Amino acid sequence: MVRAQISMVMVLDKCIGCHTCSLTCKHVWTNREGQEYAWWNNVETRPGVGYPKRWEDQEKYGGGWVLENGKLRLRLEAMGKRDPPSIKDYYQPFEYNYEELFTEEIRDQQPAANPINMYTGEEMDVKWGPNWDDDLAGANIYAGMDPNWRILEKEIYLNFKDVFMFYLPRICNHCLNPSCLYACPRKSIYKREEDGVVLIDQTRCRGYRYCVTACPYKKVYYNWKTGKSEKCILCYPRLETGQATVCTVSCVGKIRYMGVVLYDEERVIEAASAPENELVKAQRDLILDPFDPDVIRQAKADGIPENFIKAAQESPVYYMFKRWEIALPLHPEFRTLPMVFYVPPLNPVITALDRRGKYNAAYENIIPTIDELRIPIKYLASMFSAGNEEEVRKALKKLVAIREFFRLVNVEGMSKTEASRVLSEHGLSVRDADLMYKWLALGRDRWTIPTRKVELRMKIPKRASR
Amino acid sequence: MKTRTFMILVILMAASITLTGMGVSLVTAQVTEIKAPYIQEALPLNPKDPLWGEVELTQVPLVAQLLAYPMSLDTTPRSLKFAIVHNGTHMAFYIEWDDQTMDVEGGGELNKFSDAVAIQFPVQEGELPYICMGDTANPVNIVMWKAGIGAENLVAGSAYGRDAKEREALGLQQVPTSPIEMLPEDAQIWKSQAVYEDGKWRVVLIRPTGSTHPLVPDLRPGDSTSIAFARWEGSKYERGGAKSTSGWYTVKLEQIAVEAVETVTQTQTVTTTQTTTETVTQTQTQVTTETVTVTETTPAVTGAVKGALVGLVIALIAAILALALLYRRGMRPS
Ligand code: SF4
Ligand code: SF4
Repeated sequence: MVRAQISMVMVLDKCIGCHTCSLTCKHVWTNREGQEYAWWNNVETRPGVGYPKRWEDQEKYGGGWVLENGKLRLRLEAMGKRDPPSIKDYYQPFEYNYEELFTEEIRDQQPAANPINMYTGEEMDVKWGPNWDDDLAGANIYAGMDPNWRILEKEIYLNFKDVFMFYLPRICNHCLNPSCLYACPRKSIYKREEDGVVLIDQTRCRGYRYCVTACPYKKVYYNWKTGKSEKCILCYPRLETGQATVCTVSCVGKIRYMGVVLYDEERVIEAASAPENELVKAQRDLILDPFDPDVIRQAKADGIPENFIKAAQESPVYYMFKRWEIALPLHPEFRTLPMVFYVPPLNPVITALDRRGKYNAAYENIIPTIDELRIPIKYLASMFSAGNEEEVRKALKKLVAIREFFRLVNVEGMSKTEASRVLSEHGLSVRDADLMYKWLALGRDRWTIPTRKVELRMKIPKRASR
Repeated sequence: MKTRTFMILVILMAASITLTGMGVSLVTAQVTEIKAPYIQEALPLNPKDPLWGEVELTQVPLVAQLLAYPMSLDTTPRSLKFAIVHNGTHMAFYIEWDDQTMDVEGGGELNKFSDAVAIQFPVQEGELPYICMGDTANPVNIVMWKAGIGAENLVAGSAYGRDAKEREALGLQQVPTSPIEMLPEDAQIWKSQAVYEDGKWRVVLIRPTGSTHPLVPDLRPGDSTSIAFARWEGSKYERGGAKSTSGWYTVKLEQIAVEAVETVTQTQTVTTTQTTTETVTQTQTQVTTETVTVTETTPAVTGAVKGALVGLVIALIAAILALALLYRRGMRPS
């Protein structure tokens, strides 16, 4: 069975950590009572603890799946975990008392707007926030708490702050094997057949919050006011009219790419049960070639509209995740098959002041070899490939190859054909390089969103009286 | 676990729970038909009203729900006490139970779950519905009280058996959203008030005796009905299926008679059942073959048979527990 999924790639080298995505999302979807603390989109600094605090630590939060005798089981069941995170794991929402700016008596100092608790209206001391460790603030304390350090040697982590940082924007991954969905005893969560968006039916939900615990990315948020859970809806009303999500459109760094991928639904569970170091490969194998006539025939037979197939052929997600293998899923070891992918950061500033205060470029070539990058491959592998360093290396090598190619052409004046040898080493063509240049460097045509097929429009059920 | 083994387990469990349900209800039906006395005054909603100190309370043992995901994690036996009275136009339930913590959700808390209690009634007369919230052919009406939220009148089991038109006429959504559904506004006939004091919840639930909705039973003076209870402890993160439940009890609304306020005295057998549940956690015997005997003997419950019956019920519950544990180890919910 061929299915279509609208998904996203984020190119981490381009994220400037401006939080515009989070703010636009908040203003459109969660600027209301009960969701004050909820950031359907949030941006974290890495190394760091993230939001909610140390969400990647499943021993604490109980999210995702575990493999028991070759079978998938919800971790919350395996652990007997029942309690969802508390407001302390997120943060106490606060506002500023802007009134004070107008009413304060005239004094020597400037007037200040003090933070007030959004629930009680009382003044409060802010001691934690959704992005408390932004730009490595307080890194001496918080960066060491990053769960991804577990696999790194101590000395690397002690030296980390001289070494690297990057931003990690996160939304719901609209997973192919969503643990949130399976954990709901009322079957309130569904994955839309036509585009794979994972939604919570607000008429079914009774606020049990099993989904909150089950989502390993902590991307379901309980609304304490309505008593129901909510999550990122991938801006589906926008998708239906052919527009990209608000976070994508507003992204300042133009890091977000959206498109359709076709996948084989029958093999989802098999891919989610793959051995840890093969998870990325197994997920890639699920994605089908939208140019293959057999795939197209089957897709049509399975009711996928023409415009979705066309969009899949133009999809940056298809190219970056499947064809070029430069994008990777976030924490595939949670086994939900997340469908938001990340192009890992190169962070390639290679010169550093040596002891004598001189710049020291340790490479004969200006383009670094990837094992000498500032960001430890191991750290990236912990985050994006369940520890499989080869996957990360492969992705970064291709990114380096593209840079090398364009340097050879633009700086050294080589012809494209001549320079293309650096590409072919990595299985890339000049056309691939041009496409990458258009998408990654120029940031053009970052999304192709097919409008929704009219026949698939669902009848909205009448709301029950409550 | 192989599918076949699993199917057998499911069938065994279903069979044993049905029998247990029947067993319990038959025992209680024979011995304790709980009387709802008629009183000639307005029914007090306040749980601290002196009336509630005078009524005779029936103790109800509750066991953890261990059949379906999400199961209750706390399997220690629990109980509650209740009384029911009516004044001709209205009937009132008084329910009390011990709970060391008062749990009320809302107010910006994300990991709080309300303490709650529910009473289940058959919608139709005749054969008792499936004890675990009815089924399509034989639905149940449930009043659920949740701390901080109050009483909600629900229907369970009826969701998938009716067509859209019929559902609309009943005030339900055309497309069923769940096996447990909120009844429409005009069926929200329950009033509630609760007090938490000294480690104890006391809840009063009152509704008119007459019904305004086809999925809510009409219970007039002289009528009998069956009831079953469920209770949730918020501090143990219980909600939804993670709860403890009782078997069926029969209650009879007394005929209106002048100056006739009878009290309920039959609490003895219930205490026996209480001991039963306590033994359950230690007993490990499986006696599935003997269940046949239960069905045969239950219609004629004599004093001697009763003892044997209680023993069988113990064994059955133990078997269920053991099977449910097995089930829990090996399964992924879907
Ligand atoms: S990221 Fe979490 S909420 Fe989103 S689909 Fe996956 S499991 Fe569900
Ligand atoms: S708007 Fe774009 S660049 Fe800015 S933080 Fe969000 S993802 Fe990064």
